[in-house]
Amino acid sequence: MTEHRIGTQEEWQAEREALLKEEKELTRRNDELARKRGELPWVPVEKEYSFETADGTKSLAELFDGRSQLLIYHFMFGEAYEAGCTVCSSIADTLDPQVAHLKARDVTLICSSRAPLAKLLAYRDRMGWGFNWVSTAGSDFHRDLGFAHTAEELKPFLEGEIPPVVKEMAERSGTDPAGYVSEGPGLSAYALSNGTVYRTYVTTARGLELAMAYYGLLDRAPMGRNEKGEETFWLRRHDEYGTA
Amino acid sequence: MSEHTVGTLDQWLSARRELLDAEKEYMRQGDELARRRQELPWVPVETEYTFETEQGPKTLADLFDGRSQLLVYHFMFGFGFRVDEQNPGCTGCSFVADHFDGVIPHLNGHDVTLVSESIAPLERLQAYAARMGWQFPWVSSLGSDFKYDFGAAFTDDQQRNGADYNFKHVDEVSPQREGMSAFVLQDGTVHHTYSTYARGVEQLMGTFRYLDVAPFGRNEDPQHPAAWWHRHDEYETRQEEARR
Repeated sequence: MTEHRIGTQEEWQAEREALLKEEKELTRRNDELARKRGELPWVPVEKEYSFETADGTKSLAELFDGRSQLLIYHFMFGEAYEAGCTVCSSIADTLDPQVAHLKARDVTLICSSRAPLAKLLAYRDRMGWGFNWVSTAGSDFHRDLGFAHTAEELKPFLEGEIPPVVKEMAERSGTDPAGYVSEGPGLSAYALSNGTVYRTYVTTARGLELAMAYYGLLDRAPMGRNEKGEETFWLRRHDEYGTA
Repeated sequence: MSEHTVGTLDQWLSARRELLDAEKEYMRQGDELARRRQELPWVPVETEYTFETEQGPKTLADLFDGRSQLLVYHFMFGFGFRVDEQNPGCTGCSFVADHFDGVIPHLNGHDVTLVSESIAPLERLQAYAARMGWQFPWVSSLGSDFKYDFGAAFTDDQQRNGADYNFKHVDEVSPQREGMSAFVLQDGTVHHTYSTYARGVEQLMGTFRYLDVAPFGRNEDPQHPAAWWHRHDEYETRQEEARR
């Protein structure tokens, strides 16, 4: 552990108060961004998608489950995967207790993946999750959002130097880099109004940190995210910590 | 439902790209604040605090449970939002705590322990945790000054004469307020590194982050933003009551 500056209560207090001003500013900035998201135009979803669910085949409108808003987390779990992506799994770990609160705001939150439903449900059992998880196998849903890629599209990436994080994550999902990066993570939001489904918002990459609740806590912990060097790949599935 | 602007995919994309730039800027500001939090001086904790836990009495250093960092959520119990004899845990804190179990394996795997503390007898906390289905460590700070010293509980005298909450003087302060404090253990000494209160606690709540990207956002009554909050096992009955 590196040496850290030790201070008095008064020194801490003065610096903490200065920081609080900026934290409040950032909170207001977040409120402002949320307001701007609400102003994005809604785009009607013209295509008919179908999803395999635990309750049979459903349309996108049916996934709203009687509510006016739908959030879909695009969970990286392709046909070539033996287990769902480790990072997506850490996101999924926090979903179940949030479902009741989101329902109370008329929001349905589910996950979707391209692997067959049976594979998804078996993995859901292993992880002890209860949220609704649908399969888009055979549908272009993920592809149309940019969260699924063909071998042809991936060729330049796969022929180059594969980043260690991709190799690591692929291995942890029981596939190779080509299989792993055929899937991409994302979050998309929809509104159902007068029988029409509209897409309202899509995000990916660091935009998904909103779903990684541990980052909110680590950003307030003494060592922060601490993801350099040996700690780069610290994340595991919740049942894998302490095993490897 | 209010009328919303409907647009083409191209219109949406251009608005979304513009928003993405603002989102990235927000993200970088967040990174910068996280960095600045880590630069705060560490303040040695001189007082000896004792907590009642499932494994018997423990010191603050014991609560680290072998890890280098400790986050303590100051959970309001016996006082708070929609609290009565049958429902002794604050509704807002219960909402926050619904986010804990899912992130704990990941925090623990990254050398961070997360516990909650309340000024109530341990068996009352345990009974309430059982009802809510929570597993996270929850200790009793009853009889210790811990919650008072870290700005989340206030003495009768402070309630009469005012005190600082969230680094600001409040004339009429409640017996308890929400907050989280961070500590680091180095060479056997516990240091206080950070505390956050009020809306700072929102950053621990994934549900708000999801709502901030949903079509209708938080959709709260501006006069009573928390009016929609209930304990996760109460929504159905409370909503039925509201309809009657």
